[in-house]
Amino acid sequence: MKLYDIAYSRAGDKGDIANVSVFVDDEADWPTIRDRLTVEEVRKKFGPLVKGEIVRYEFPNLHGLNFVLYRALDGGCGSGLRLDQYGKAYSSLMLDIDL
Amino acid sequence: MSEQKVARVGCGSAYDGDRLDWSVDLAKSGAVSYLSFDCLAEGTMTAAQLRRNEDPSVGYAMNLLPVIESFEAFLGNGLKIIGNFGVSNTEAAVQATVDLLRQLGRYGIRVGAVHGDDIRTKAFELDLDLPDMGCKLSEVGKPVVSVNAYTGAGEMMSLLTGGADFVLGGRTADVSLYVAPICYEMGWDLDDLDRLARASAAGHLLECGILVSGGRLANPPRHMLKNAVRIGMPYAEISHDEIIISKNPNSGGVVDIRTVKMQLGYEIHDPANYLTPDVTLDVSNAAVEQVDVDRVRVTGVRGKPRPDTLKVLVGLDLGWRVTSEVSLGGPGCLERADFARELLEARCAEFRGDIDDLRVDLIGMNSLFGDQIKAGAPAEVRLRFAARCSERHVAAAFHHEAKHLGMSIAGATASAPRLERFFGVTPAFVPRSAVSLEQELVTV
Repeated sequence: MKLYDIAYSRAGDKGDIANVSVFVDDEADWPTIRDRLTVEEVRKKFGPLVKGEIVRYEFPNLHGLNFVLYRALDGGCGSGLRLDQYGKAYSSLMLDIDL
Repeated sequence: MSEQKVARVGCGSAYDGDRLDWSVDLAKSGAVSYLSFDCLAEGTMTAAQLRRNEDPSVGYAMNLLPVIESFEAFLGNGLKIIGNFGVSNTEAAVQATVDLLRQLGRYGIRVGAVHGDDIRTKAFELDLDLPDMGCKLSEVGKPVVSVNAYTGAGEMMSLLTGGADFVLGGRTADVSLYVAPICYEMGWDLDDLDRLARASAAGHLLECGILVSGGRLANPPRHMLKNAVRIGMPYAEISHDEIIISKNPNSGGVVDIRTVKMQLGYEIHDPANYLTPDVTLDVSNAAVEQVDVDRVRVTGVRGKPRPDTLKVLVGLDLGWRVTSEVSLGGPGCLERADFARELLEARCAEFRGDIDDLRVDLIGMNSLFGDQIKAGAPAEVRLRFAARCSERHVAAAFHHEAKHLGMSIAGATASAPRLERFFGVTPAFVPRSAVSLEQELVTV
């Protein structure tokens, strides 16, 4: 099962930091992502795209998670040469994670 | 219940250049008494400052005059407008606003402005730390184009209290553009932390426009959005005990718990400590509830004291960027892409060392995620080059080679490469005492 099958996601940026939030469609799947969508899983999926720390936060009432990806946009000052300069597509990579 | 006081505030725009027709629809609906226009993304300020350097009468939002033209009929007729239209030239923005309103015969309209977020001189005096660059401002090694502090809602509230119909600022924080009218309308003090948090959460939910009313939700086949043709701009109803997020009636899109959750998490790092100039917002225990069609109630947001410092964005001139793309398809397209890349590198050998950074992507293979999702052999690929050069002549030389590359490869189809100014932004923090803001109120 992919995260795509049970959740939706959106990405944002501040400077060289991306954040990717993930929420489940059905509340019943909240324990699944809470317990299994770890920093390690995200690290494995994003690999060298994230050069810094990954920090995970929970939204317990919203049944979602927020991952903050440091040094993830290929530029010390939001100025990299990436096609996806602001990491908008990172939400789709997140949903490709196998749970 | 009709006795209860409610502030009705809508989103006018989410960035400079945002479409205005959908927010005109919202104004016409009569659902809101205030529209807030965010005109700034992180890079907007620096781009505007570069324009101002070439022409001192510009540097304000491209959207400023179109907004006045589109909304002047509503101004002073039950609608007030708030925006960071000043961008890097609040003085010129006031002048342009007053001039246009005079031309339109709108005498008596009161225009308020907040000046003083441009702190270039002060930033050098303080020699700011640039944490993401690991150095001081004086050591950055690139021309500093702009230094602007994110400012809060206080001055805008005073201007509204003074009778302003149209309020503009420079780098006013996105959320504060909403906090000002909400707290003004509700009579809330800026030291009432939980109320301030409620106003800020409403602002955070509205500041990206249609993203809370169905934008970016459509993800077929998993998530479908009915009627995405004309998405309704969102607004909030804020009362003493709740926030309701809704959208222009009789429009497309949707406001549901999914759209509200995603916007609540947008560009937030620690949900318990979202820093704004007005308050530290805690949405970690927020809850959402669908109370009616296209109406979502948000509860559980808390406020903590505002940070002692103000965030600053420093804009740096990084020189020039060249981007170029070539499409290749059919058998051997990946091999031809490799050949093209090697050929371009060989033709640039003489000045390759002067290119600061060169990136090569295969769109369709690895441009978004590197090698993190493995693809099979594609039917076609688009080879993309992106180069950053401090010197214009180096960028021009790369542009020249990129432009002529397609002629040397079978079946290549290219578009004209682009050569453009390139800048970056990096954050810093200053004590509040480093920023002195001034208010101006002019009657047209």
